[in-house]
Amino acid sequence: MRFEIRPGVRRLLRFPIRTRTAMKRDADEELEALIACRVEHLVARGMSPDDARAEAIRRLGGSLDQVRQQLHTNADRRERRMRVVESFESVMQDVRYAARGLARRPTFTAVSVLTLAIGVGATTAIFSAVNVLLLRPLPYARPDELMKVSLILPAEGGHPTLTPGFAFPTYTALRNAQRSFNSFAAYTPTQATLTSGDAEHVDGEYVSASYLRTLRLAPERGRDFDPSLDAHVGAPHEVIVSYALWQNRFNADRSIIGHTIDIDREPWTIVGVGPRGFRGLSGQADVFLPVTTVAAELLRPGSSMLSVVARRASGVTALRATEEMSTLGGRLANEFPNQMGKLKWEVHASALDALRIDPLVRRSLLVLFGAAWLVLAIACVNVASLLLGRASARRREIAVRVAIGAGRGRLLRLFLVESLMLALLGGIASAGVAWIGAHVLASVDPAAVFRGPRSDAATIGAVAFSSIALDWQALAFALCTSLVVGLLFGLAPALGSTRASLSDALTSDRTAAGAGVGRRALVVTQVALALVLLVGSGLMVRSLAKLLSVDVGFDASNLITFRLSPQDGSIAPESVPGFYAKMLDRVRAVPGVADAALDSCVPLGRSCRRTSLLRSDLPVPDDIYAKVTGLDVVTPNWFSLMQVRLVRGRSFLPTDRAGGPRVVLLNESAAKTFFGAEDPIGKRISLGRQVKDAEVIGIVGDVRQLPDSAPGPTTYVPSAQSPPEEMIVFVRTMRDAATLGGEIRKAVRDVAPQLPVGDMQTMAQRKGTATARNRFHALLLTAFALAALLLAAIGIYGVLSFAVTARAREIGIRIALGAERASVQRLVIGEGLALVGVGVVIGLAGAFAGARVLRTFLFDLTPSDPVTYATIIVVLGVTAVLASWAPGRRASRVDPVIALRAE
Amino acid sequence: MPMLRGTLDPLVLKAVSWSPMHAFEITNWIEERSDGHVQIDDGALLQALHRLDDRRYIAGEWGVTENGRRAKYYRITAAGRDYLRTEAARLVDHLGAVVSILSAKTSKSRG
Repeated sequence: MRFEIRPGVRRLLRFPIRTRTAMKRDADEELEALIACRVEHLVARGMSPDDARAEAIRRLGGSLDQVRQQLHTNADRRERRMRVVESFESVMQDVRYAARGLARRPTFTAVSVLTLAIGVGATTAIFSAVNVLLLRPLPYARPDELMKVSLILPAEGGHPTLTPGFAFPTYTALRNAQRSFNSFAAYTPTQATLTSGDAEHVDGEYVSASYLRTLRLAPERGRDFDPSLDAHVGAPHEVIVSYALWQNRFNADRSIIGHTIDIDREPWTIVGVGPRGFRGLSGQADVFLPVTTVAAELLRPGSSMLSVVARRASGVTALRATEEMSTLGGRLANEFPNQMGKLKWEVHASALDALRIDPLVRRSLLVLFGAAWLVLAIACVNVASLLLGRASARRREIAVRVAIGAGRGRLLRLFLVESLMLALLGGIASAGVAWIGAHVLASVDPAAVFRGPRSDAATIGAVAFSSIALDWQALAFALCTSLVVGLLFGLAPALGSTRASLSDALTSDRTAAGAGVGRRALVVTQVALALVLLVGSGLMVRSLAKLLSVDVGFDASNLITFRLSPQDGSIAPESVPGFYAKMLDRVRAVPGVADAALDSCVPLGRSCRRTSLLRSDLPVPDDIYAKVTGLDVVTPNWFSLMQVRLVRGRSFLPTDRAGGPRVVLLNESAAKTFFGAEDPIGKRISLGRQVKDAEVIGIVGDVRQLPDSAPGPTTYVPSAQSPPEEMIVFVRTMRDAATLGGEIRKAVRDVAPQLPVGDMQTMAQRKGTATARNRFHALLLTAFALAALLLAAIGIYGVLSFAVTARAREIGIRIALGAERASVQRLVIGEGLALVGVGVVIGLAGAFAGARVLRTFLFDLTPSDPVTYATIIVVLGVTAVLASWAPGRRASRVDPVIALRAE
Repeated sequence: MPMLRGTLDPLVLKAVSWSPMHAFEITNWIEERSDGHVQIDDGALLQALHRLDDRRYIAGEWGVTENGRRAKYYRITAAGRDYLRTEAARLVDHLGAVVSILSAKTSKSRG
């Protein structure tokens, strides 16, 4: 019987396989032999040798050359096929071998895959957000042509650069004069109330008819505004509703076009449904109204509310457009002089893309992206450490394979296949993690999280968070990252271990300890990276705690607030004060309500009115923008209800009526800002155009408008002397404020059935919204830091377990020589602590540098806060002890007899 | 007469199933068994041998003939025997059917 060797084995053991030339020679020889046999046979039958040869050639069925050629070709083909089969078989063998190996070590496999999943998954989720929000071009055709044109009042003296919007006349003048843009559009965010059916407050935009066309968008249904609407003020009441509103409020009713809905109590005809996913450049609009319908507002001389977006004509560079805008800006400044001061307007044009997202959101995302990369780095280190440990545990196996003739390339391929399988599993798992992460991020409401109460009608960003989704790019990112990590860290140890010589590996276990040095270095790296993350999250958490405990200047417990806008037409202007008085009485009568008051502004809420404050005893300053104050119109009982303390003077009294002497209260920072060391009481001031020559009668405590910013100057005016328009109702309750919402709503409805109750929230909820960004940061960074800590713990545990196994003999000898078992355990734990110690020292340097990027996010905390650092170091120390506890215990239980016999 | 398609491989396997043979012995064996009716081109025979060797139905080994000439001897493998058994049965059935059809047709046209 022929001894059959499977091709894979033959390759592995380097048995010579038949080469092409050998096979051809073999075939030639066989052909010659056959011819010779036939000639011999024919000659034996009496044929002449020449005839016999001719006959033998004839019997070939072709010329000798032809047949030989045919045989050669066949030999080639057979050889090729053999090679393919062989390599396929050997790859399959590697795959089977690797799969068996991974299945045999479920802990190793699970930990590696989990590590990759956490590291890569988190990075991918954040990447998909970064990709959508920062990297991907704006979702409009030719986004590079789009520019934002802004009116700028340059920084000078005390005040910063201001960017008021355009007034309608300046906008039209600019639009008609410019040549750089072939499409010019204005928009401004607004709030509206849908009053047909259930009253609903929605965000909207007043837009020029050219708005959608400038962005090269078309309505999903219906039609766009007619371009002629932009020509002059006074357009018909036509509205385009957002796709989202059409879906949610109108149930995607296809017959909605041409219907009339009531917006702010006036009938509007729906002419179109906006493009899918489009919420305006303010990022949250649900209704688009022609800007030329708001004639009264537009024609007010000081109005400055329009933002301008424009599309450059083809062939016009951004530079030329910018230049033309600043030239026209100069002309505009002369034509429409700034009435608020001596400064001149300037007009700037910049790429719309640069303004796509709020700088704060951008910064947050980049910080999170950085944190995710740190986690990924730690995960990589962990996987590397795991694979390194595995490679050194397999040194003997590898050495034996090399000794019996396995090629280095073949062994490397084995490792490669194994790493690839691991990376692929990790990639799949991380895609799962990324999918969950992307969903969580998509559900983030940027208005709530990043802007909180700061949303003062500026744009939030043209790209909605809800468009974050795991697309193929992010998936490819996850898979590629996993593969690169797996290959890089799978092959590096393999390269090292296949170089080892047989005698080294077989005779000694000291080499294993040597490989441990590399792993120790990796653990130190891990600890250092984890420290950076932990410090980051520690700072955010401490900052959040400080923020939550900050004294906001009023009692926020058992307090509920809501907005009423009676000026929208439901109540005649002259009966508004009466309505408010009646409503407050009715609310006070609700069981559980202690008191109710009015303020035009809500702390921790949307920003309030601001105006210039002029002292009557001083000349009018050059620039009245330099010092502004918040303006709050309040009922006299507001201060007692809010428990805002009266510092000096007297508070408002019911006797401070309309027609009586005008009085105002200043808060402490207003007193300091406008009067310095002087006593303001008895002084007279004017506020903007509304309050002339009022007497300061007292000073009250500061109320924080936002928990994370110092209170600014605020002036209070009694509601009786300043006819209230939109007001916030403050209700102090005697039990949990949230439970009284329904009752209070009912009370308001009793007084004014048509008036919607807006934005009803307890002060606790407002506080939650106001600190949402801080909580968002603290939460995500803590999640990352915990992942990092867990991974570092796994790393420490892995290295020490491995070290204990590798040093079983040494430990056995120690115990045999009388070492206390407890001291052996201490030895191992000490080693864990030493690793962490070195990591901490290195990490501290990185943390000091890294924490600085968090400075803008921190409240009342320096990035080098010692308490945070101390806490984190303790946390890492405890982690080190915990992670080395089990290996230490195992070491202390080494049986000296078994350990020594094992060699 | 040219070979019927698919009959060469079973014939070669049948030949070497008795004892190891080299190429000339195989062609001679087939010619003798068929009383000279089946003549195989030597080129085709060699290709068939290589094909069968490739499929591991036969295994070749160099040896020496009775006349002291070097020649490659082929023996049948276990796989080759299996193949021969099924392929021969199939071929016999098939050819039997062909024969019965052809002979029946002839007699009818006469009658």
